[in-house]
Amino acid sequence: MGRTIVAIVATGTALVLAALPIVLALVSPGGLGGLAPPDPATPSGEAINQLYWFVFGICAVVFIGVETALVLFILRFRRRSTTPVDAEGPQIHGNTRLEIIWTAIPAVILAVIAIVVLVRTPAVQATGGDRSDELVVRVEGHQFYWRYVYPDGQISLDTLVLPVDRPVKLELVSYDVNHSWWVRELTGKQDAIRGQVNELLLRPTAEGTFDGVCAEFCGVLHAVMPTTVEVVSQEEYASRIEQLSGQDQAGEAQLALGRQTWERTCAKCHGPEGQGDLGPPIAQNGTLVDEEALRDLLNDGLDTPGVEGYMPPVGRGWPAFQVQALIEYIRSNEDLAPPEQDGGGSG
Amino acid sequence: MAVGSEALAPSWREGRVTGWLTTVDHKRIGILYIVTAFFFFFAAGVMALLMRLQLAQAGNDIVTENDYNQLFTIHGTAMIFLFVVPILAGFGNYVVPLMIGARDMAFPRLNALSYWLFLLGGIVILGSFLADGGAASSGWTAYTPLSTEEFSPGTGQDLWILGLHLTSLSSLAGAINFIVTIHNMRTPGMTWMRIPLFVWAIEAFAVLLLLVLPTISAAVTLLLLDRQAGTSFFTGENGALLWQHMFWFFGHPEVYIMVLPAMGILSEVIPVFSRKPIFGYKAIAFSTIGIAFASMLVWAHHMFTVGMPDALQAWFMVTSFSVAVPTAIKIFNWLATLWRGHLWFRAPLLFCLGFIGLFTMGGLSGVMLAVFPVDYQTHDTYYVVAHFHYVLFGGSVFGIFAGIYYWFPKMTGRMYDERLGVAHFWLMFLGFNAAFLPQHMLGLMGMQRRIYTYDREGLFEWYNLVSSLGSFLMGIAILVFFWNMTKSWRSGPRVGNDPWSADTLEWYATSPPAAHNFDRVPYVSSSRPLRDLRERLRERGA
Repeated sequence: MGRTIVAIVATGTALVLAALPIVLALVSPGGLGGLAPPDPATPSGEAINQLYWFVFGICAVVFIGVETALVLFILRFRRRSTTPVDAEGPQIHGNTRLEIIWTAIPAVILAVIAIVVLVRTPAVQATGGDRSDELVVRVEGHQFYWRYVYPDGQISLDTLVLPVDRPVKLELVSYDVNHSWWVRELTGKQDAIRGQVNELLLRPTAEGTFDGVCAEFCGVLHAVMPTTVEVVSQEEYASRIEQLSGQDQAGEAQLALGRQTWERTCAKCHGPEGQGDLGPPIAQNGTLVDEEALRDLLNDGLDTPGVEGYMPPVGRGWPAFQVQALIEYIRSNEDLAPPEQDGGGSG
Repeated sequence: MAVGSEALAPSWREGRVTGWLTTVDHKRIGILYIVTAFFFFFAAGVMALLMRLQLAQAGNDIVTENDYNQLFTIHGTAMIFLFVVPILAGFGNYVVPLMIGARDMAFPRLNALSYWLFLLGGIVILGSFLADGGAASSGWTAYTPLSTEEFSPGTGQDLWILGLHLTSLSSLAGAINFIVTIHNMRTPGMTWMRIPLFVWAIEAFAVLLLLVLPTISAAVTLLLLDRQAGTSFFTGENGALLWQHMFWFFGHPEVYIMVLPAMGILSEVIPVFSRKPIFGYKAIAFSTIGIAFASMLVWAHHMFTVGMPDALQAWFMVTSFSVAVPTAIKIFNWLATLWRGHLWFRAPLLFCLGFIGLFTMGGLSGVMLAVFPVDYQTHDTYYVVAHFHYVLFGGSVFGIFAGIYYWFPKMTGRMYDERLGVAHFWLMFLGFNAAFLPQHMLGLMGMQRRIYTYDREGLFEWYNLVSSLGSFLMGIAILVFFWNMTKSWRSGPRVGNDPWSADTLEWYATSPPAAHNFDRVPYVSSSRPLRDLRERLRERGA
């Protein structure tokens, strides 16, 4: 008897504990707190969410059915204190008709899910509407930052600016390891893999700022490789792109690209002032302003025997003007620039 | 064979320690496997707790990013290759020959080799923390190009490859041994439709190992060549995808390698503690084969986000669904076995019931992950982490504990402490759900896998804290378990041959069995030879 009470109390506690996160999720502000993907800002994201709720609903019914049967059987068929120890239950070896039924039911349910998913698959990839003015942006995954290249060669790092209500095609590539671009409020993730170009189609329908991450483990700083997508009006998009530096620019725009490059790539490992963090200190190192040596280092990385860790080839795929912009920025920053007379030095 | 050679062995081989070191007895090897696997389980569990400590709060600074990446790599590797697979092989070693009325495994010396290779592989993998640059840190999946020389210099990754080779060799030799044993050494009367369902499960386990281990062995060999000999199998164009295909062609069946024998344990324990025969023996046996077969067709559902054509994604979704059908058959058959039984709530049954409840959750979240558009949102997130822990911990590990409590009296001749066993179950059940249920939500809230830190607060941080607290509750449960085992092995009350009134032949042997297992084996005329014997005795008595 005492054991039964303990079991019931323990089951009750388990159920309450299990229900707690769900209750928390329901009462939490700002969406469903993890019961479903967040409200999407694209039609494809919306299609994914509809499928999620459809499959979730079916699975929830099956789950409740199986768990209820389990709990009922546990309560109903426990051995009573009056039952003799060696008493056997009815010696039922099976029931073919029953077994055929419960083989068929899951098969039919799964077939229904499969059909619905396949019918809805085009909606998940479609951007909706006219695609003639599609905007193509190249998305490069690097250890450990995102590099975006707009149609006219402008570059931004970690932050992607997109116009609202215009179909977008992201071309995902990688110059080193696998990455995965995931801005969950826009749509599902897609990997960036060396040697191939993956496409992700979307059409943002709401302005706003959306946070994303790298979802595929890509090395030591995988956890801190965020990205941000700013969806702005079409007019604002035009002026934002105008401000981004591309080729053949000098002065402020070039320095801005250089600063961005320093902050989003070098500084993540070497510290904001190049004072050293995960990587060694590099402030005032001669290589920083030696264009040829810097290009080689950025392209090949560095693995020094006896030194823990290594430097990834962070600058693979950069055009010359981005390296020049970085050098110009370093020259302009007296904490970083090496003393004038020294031309050489090594990384 | 084994018995003969041991009987003639020089006396130094019969010492308390040397006897164990030189043994070729399947029972001793089985126990060595189980004890060693629990040691690795403990080590990998400590790694998990360190990770949960780090993730308990936003921006924690308990382990470094480098250490964290090594921890989750070796945690996964050790739990799979050094705990779940070898402990199931340990059960198979101990129980299969007894269940089929054999004196030993077909190749006792090969069997010993399997164990020692496993131990060596484990030492290499755990020892790799001491390597220059630390252990491997590219995840248990070791995706290329991250795991190649260019992005993972240092010997940790090479030692990981060596460790995998050693454990794979161990498992291959063990698999061949199991297959030969089951096919050739069954006692008279034990036809294929009368072998215990656990033996069916070990047969499927062994066949799957034999079919898929060569793929991972080949893959890690090519990786080693890339790293050490300058080849470019995985560093060139398409190398990244080649690895993923080879890895998951092994990696997905590996999941069923880890689950099927645990399901086999349930099919033994549930009837005994319900006092009923298993419902639908044939359906369970054939669903075991069905799962094993289907498991080799589903691998690319781990790769929905790599840019596959829609038609291929659809194919892998449908094949993944096809695994759910035989799995559902098993769940329904177990429930039907409980129906109208006289459920005897001892620790083995509790863990089986926990398995059914938790594995159902893991199976259904698996269906959701197989829906590829949904997977675009859940892939590589904590949703996946939650899913596979429900399958592999809520499933396999709960099944393993059911097996430990069930066969403890047979292995040691003593009964474990029931109160500690029940406490272990409830602590584990509560801790498990607290640890892994919130991880589903975290995944949907955007927490990607394999991150050493995060900067989000509020509910996100709360879920992480609950998860960490749950993991420590599980840690306490494991300590209770270890205490129970140590104490009961030394001084638990003695038991007879058959403390559970069970159905299968291992309970006909003494507890623990003699070196040669049986003086004689009763003729087998059904899948429940021991119950037949009891019935005959009862009839004679009446």
